[in-house]
Amino acid sequence: MNTLRLYGRSMAMLIKSQLQYPVSFLMQTLAQLVMEGGELLAVILLIDRFDHMNQWDPGDLYFFFGLMSVSFYLTEIFGRGVTGNFPSMVRNGQLDTILLRPRGILTQVLCSAVDPRRIACIAVGTVSLVIGSRMSAIAWTPLKALLLAESIFFSFWLILGLFMVEAILCIHSVKSVELANTLTYGGRSACEYPSDIYPRPLRVLFTVVAPFALVMHVPASFILDKPLFDWPLWAAFVTPFAGLALFGVMYVLFRKALRFYRSTGS
Amino acid sequence: METQYRGAVLGGLICQMFFGLILVAIYRALYAGKPQPIPLSHVTTYVWLQQAFFRMLLASDPELLDKIRTGAIAYDLCRPLHLYGYYYARIMAQKLTGSVLRALPMLVFASLLPEGWGLCLPASVPALLVALLALILGLLCVSALENITMGFTMRTLDPRGMQGMLNLLMVTLSGNLLPLTLFPDSWQRVITLLPYAQLLDAPIRLYTGEYALGKAPEVLLIQLVWTCILILLGCAFWNKNQRKLIIQGG
Repeated sequence: MNTLRLYGRSMAMLIKSQLQYPVSFLMQTLAQLVMEGGELLAVILLIDRFDHMNQWDPGDLYFFFGLMSVSFYLTEIFGRGVTGNFPSMVRNGQLDTILLRPRGILTQVLCSAVDPRRIACIAVGTVSLVIGSRMSAIAWTPLKALLLAESIFFSFWLILGLFMVEAILCIHSVKSVELANTLTYGGRSACEYPSDIYPRPLRVLFTVVAPFALVMHVPASFILDKPLFDWPLWAAFVTPFAGLALFGVMYVLFRKALRFYRSTGS
Repeated sequence: METQYRGAVLGGLICQMFFGLILVAIYRALYAGKPQPIPLSHVTTYVWLQQAFFRMLLASDPELLDKIRTGAIAYDLCRPLHLYGYYYARIMAQKLTGSVLRALPMLVFASLLPEGWGLCLPASVPALLVALLALILGLLCVSALENITMGFTMRTLDPRGMQGMLNLLMVTLSGNLLPLTLFPDSWQRVITLLPYAQLLDAPIRLYTGEYALGKAPEVLLIQLVWTCILILLGCAFWNKNQRKLIIQGG
C-alpha cells in the first residue's frame, strides 16, 4: 500500500512539473494526437479499399485497433520509466542512486517518469473502440464490459513485461537494444489486427512468446461474438492472465540481471 | 561512423525485416479477401524497398539540434563556408551512408523470400536504371526538405511538437506507413505530385513498372523541379534565419 501511495505522489508531482510549460505541453499533445490519428487513417484507408479481412468486418478491425491503442499508450503513460528512460538511466549512472535507496528498484524506476502527452493517443484509441462497437453492433452486457476492462488491465502488464526485456538486455549490454523493439513496437503494429490473419510462425510468436493473442484477441473476439478459438466463455476470462504471468517472469529475470549490473562509472 | 556499432546496425536491420514481414503478411491477408488491380507482388516489392531505404526518410542530425539548443552553432557561423550548403552536404551524406549500409542486406534478404512474400525483379533493365536515377534525385529532394525542417527548429528551440507533425507528413505522404498505390485513386492524383512522393514513391513505381518508361521523363522533371524549389526556399529561409539568429548563451 505504501508503494502505491509513493507511486501516486510521484505521478502527481511529475505531471504538475510537466504542466509548468503549458504551451509546449499542448503542442506535443497535439502532435501525439495527429500521429495516432495518422495510424488510424491508415487503417481507415485500408478498410476503404479492401472492405474486410478474413471473417473480420470493418467494425471488428476498428475495435481491435482501439483495444491495442488504448492498452499500449496506457502503458506508455504510467510505465514511462521502463518504456522510455531505463536505457539512459543505465548509461548515465542514475541507476546507481536508485540501487542505494531503501525502496524497490522497479518501484523507483516506475516512479521516475510519466508521459501524460499520450492521453491524446488514448483518445484516438477510445474513438476507434466506440466506432468499432457501433459498426459491429456489439450487444453490451456487464460481462462483456468486464471482459474488456480485464483485457486492457492485463495488456498493461503484458506490454510492460515486454518492455522489461529491453531493460534486462540493457543491463547486460549498456547500449539500448533495438532488437527488443521487435516484440514491443513490432507487437503493437502486428496485433492491431487479429492474430489469425498471420501465417503460423507469426501466430505462434504472438500467442506463446508475446501472448498478445491471449490477452487481447481472445477476449475481444468473444466481445465481438466471433470467438478466435473453439473455447468456452470462461477461457476468455482466464487467458488474459498470461500478461501478468509474462510480467512475473520478466520481473524475476530483471532481479537476476541486476546482480550482474556493473555501473558505467559516470 | 556507421560501422563502429555493428551490433546496433544488425539489431536495427533484424527489427526492420520483422516489420517488413508483418506488413507483407497484413497485405497478403487483405489481398486474399479482395484482390486489387495492383498485383500483390508490386505491393510487397513496395514494402521491401521502403524498408530498405527507410533511413533516407528518417530525420538524422541530432547533433545539429543539440548545437542549436546549446548555442554551439555560433562556431559554425564563424566558419568561412556557406552554412546551408555545409549542412545540406552533411545531411545528404548521413542519409546516403545510413541507407546504403542497410539497404544492401535488406534487399538480399527480401529477394531470398519465397514467391509472393519478397521483392520482385524490376520491370526491365532500363526501368531499373531510371529508378536508380530517380532515387538519387529523391535523395537530393529529401535533404532539401529536411533542411527546411531544421530552419524551423532554429526558430522555435523546442522543436518536438513541430517535428512530430512534419515527420508524420513524411511517413504518411511518402508511402512508408501505407503504400501510396493503395491510397484512394482520387487522392493519388494529388499526392503523387507532392514533394514527399518524390523521395521513394516515384523511384519504386518506376522500378515496378507502375509508371511506364514513357512516363519517366515527366516523373524526373517533377522531381527536379521540386528539388530546385525546395533548395531555393531552404536557402532563403536559412539566410533570413541567420540575420535574426539569437544565440543561446551558456
